[in-house]
Amino acid sequence: AQKAIIRVIPLKVEPITLEGVFANVAEVTPAEGKLLQFHPLSLCNTSEDEHTESGFITIVKLERPDRDLHPCLSLANKAKLAGERGARAILFDITDDKTAADQLRKPRGLSQPVVLIWGHDAELLMGVVNKNREAHVKIEVKEPPAWPDYDVWIL
Amino acid sequence: AVSMEQGAVPSCPPQCHCEEDGIMLSVDCSELGLSEVPANLSPLTAYLDLSMNNISELQPNTFHHMRFLGELRLSGNQLFRIPGEAFSGLYSLKILMLQNNQLRRIPAEALRDLPNLQSLRLDANLISLVPEKSFEGLPSLRHLWLDDNALTEIPVQALNNLPALQAMTLALNQIGHIPDYAFQNLSSLVVLHLHNNRIQSLGTNGFEGLHSLETLDLNYNELLEFPVAIRTLGRLQELGFHNNNIKAIPEKAFVGNPLLQTIHFYGNPIQFVGQSTFQFLPKLHTLSLNGATDIREFPDLKGTTSLEILTLTRAGIHLLPRGMCQQLPSLRVLELSHNQIEELPSFHRCQRLEEIGLQHNRVREIRADTFGQLMALRSIDLSWNCIHFIHPEAFVTLHSLTKLDLTDNRLVTLPLDGLGGLTHLKLQGNPALSEPFTKESFPKMRVLEVPYAYQCCAYGACSNFFKLSNQWEAEDMNPEDEDLHKRTVGFFPGHADNHYDLDIDDFQLELEESKLHPTVQCTPSPGPFKPCDHLF
Amino acid sequence: MHPNVSQGCQGGCATCSDYNGCLSCKPRLFFVLERIGMKQIGVCLSSCPSGYYGTRYPDINKCTKCKADCETCFTRNFCTKCKSGFYLYSGKCLENCPEGLETNNHTMECTSIVH
Repeated sequence: AQKAIIRVIPLKVEPITLEGVFANVAEVTPAEGKLLQFHPLSLCNTSEDEHTESGFITIVKLERPDRDLHPCLSLANKAKLAGERGARAILFDITDDKTAADQLRKPRGLSQPVVLIWGHDAELLMGVVNKNREAHVKIEVKEPPAWPDYDVWIL
Repeated sequence: AVSMEQGAVPSCPPQCHCEEDGIMLSVDCSELGLSEVPANLSPLTAYLDLSMNNISELQPNTFHHMRFLGELRLSGNQLFRIPGEAFSGLYSLKILMLQNNQLRRIPAEALRDLPNLQSLRLDANLISLVPEKSFEGLPSLRHLWLDDNALTEIPVQALNNLPALQAMTLALNQIGHIPDYAFQNLSSLVVLHLHNNRIQSLGTNGFEGLHSLETLDLNYNELLEFPVAIRTLGRLQELGFHNNNIKAIPEKAFVGNPLLQTIHFYGNPIQFVGQSTFQFLPKLHTLSLNGATDIREFPDLKGTTSLEILTLTRAGIHLLPRGMCQQLPSLRVLELSHNQIEELPSFHRCQRLEEIGLQHNRVREIRADTFGQLMALRSIDLSWNCIHFIHPEAFVTLHSLTKLDLTDNRLVTLPLDGLGGLTHLKLQGNPALSEPFTKESFPKMRVLEVPYAYQCCAYGACSNFFKLSNQWEAEDMNPEDEDLHKRTVGFFPGHADNHYDLDIDDFQLELEESKLHPTVQCTPSPGPFKPCDHLF
Repeated sequence: MHPNVSQGCQGGCATCSDYNGCLSCKPRLFFVLERIGMKQIGVCLSSCPSGYYGTRYPDINKCTKCKADCETCFTRNFCTKCKSGFYLYSGKCLENCPEGLETNNHTMECTSIVH
């Protein structure tokens, strides 16, 4: 899985660099924009689209699956909806939902990158969100180590 | 408005948040855990919010000195009764919110003298009793919320003298019947919501007197018969009776409602619809009917010229009239799947058509003029038919076509003229269609499904296996179609307990990389056992 | 931070968490998503915020936006108070009053002409 470098540049505060992983549900591409938190229930067909100006980076803190027994959409479709509502990229904090990575593994060709973050990196990011401090985010593709690529044929 | 905390202005009650607007005061004491109305409220208070507290009682004359109070919010408290004098003196009150309390009856005595009250919220209480004179003292009442209570019948007497009432909801109660003349003096009523009750029967004169009604919501009830009482509603624009038990919509059902724009009636076991039921509804823009198996013929839609979306699925239609498009010049979406249509007319007069759904019919061929001149047509679904022939010029004029589904037909060849703009093409289930395709035929292709794996080789190397989801459904996946509860936990084998710290090196998913042209998803995927070279 | 043990948990929540606020509401309350700067949290209210109307269903109580020209409404198509610059008439917001009615700039409504 392709690793992602997430540079968070809060207003008037030291930037922080975090790491995550690109989910295969979407293209692996860099992205940047203003960080905006979205409640998990805001990414539902029935929820009102806030008509936020497009060009932001969405961060969604996923809750434990047992706290959302009847999700309105799959995570893949939530990511798709976020893109349709103007997000340039979607960050999912999956610390509390270990099943999320599995749901976002199937390639769907979504054009906005989807990055999974967890543990200490997620805690730092959510710390910025909780202080409600405006921040700019740059997501970069971390180049994988240069290993030769062998194809194996069964003859 | 100037905002200030308690203390800045002597009459701002403790903990409350007050704002001055000129000489008037807005006081917000919501969610403070108050058990009674604060004392010393300013006489210049225009807005008072006491919602979401624990107030269980109101004292008589509590607000007697507040002559300028325009809005009083007492919602989300524990009020189970309201004394007669509680609201005396509130001559300027326009909005009174009492929703989300514990009231069991309408506090008629307390509402006796509110001459300017326009909006009264009593929803989400336990009201089962509406005394006859409940609303006598409310000559200006326009909006009444009584939804989510315990009413078992329409409070006919109490509603008899509300000349100014324009909008009312009685939804989410246990009303079982609407008697004749139930609303006969509500001549100004524009909106009436009765959804989520138990209405089984309706007097034929049940809606007599509702001369101004524009919206009627009867959804989620137990109606057995079509509500013919609607015939007196000459100004009706929105009608909903979906999720009832209605089996037939008679001829002339809407003859009294020429202004209808929307009719929602899905979720009914409708078997029969009159041939001319939906005639002469010039404002109607959507008509959808699913599963009416008794319908054998395409409906006569004369005079229903604004129809944009027509859905008539799972019926027994076997023939489409030649002149159907003359009646439907504004049609954008035509959905006729799961019928028995064998032959298609020319749709060329349906100039605004964007989507056609004809899957699961018995169509045999597509002629040159079938889809002629349809410049706005974006999507055609002809899957699960018996198509053996498509005229070479069938798609030539379709400049906007991006999606074509011909799954499971009897095609031998596919004419490519006019298909250059396709992004989605599905051809699986046509065993005789063995011709290879070239990338140049479909320069914008993104999702391609073909009968044979070698037909995918035009879109990239064939050296690796790969598993790709069915992109067509995946992209347009409906939440209902997905089985959301199939979640595998523990995708980290070996981690027995639940609490583990995800470390980037542990996060190695077994994923086969796709080496196909990154933008085209082509299936079935070629591979060692499905080589690119045609074996013969 | 463990969910439920948080300062952000508002009275109407049935379940909540620090970052997302309310996840579900106590019965008969309206679930609303509130944006405060960069943050968006769930709150549970007994009435929808201004500019929204509430619809009660057996399993959920929803807030939906009024039309753009309407400040408070009963349903999407029935306004109870128009935004400035519009006159209210029978649930509609009009820039000018229909024939036979006159504008009342105090109440911002169309009223019958008093002879």
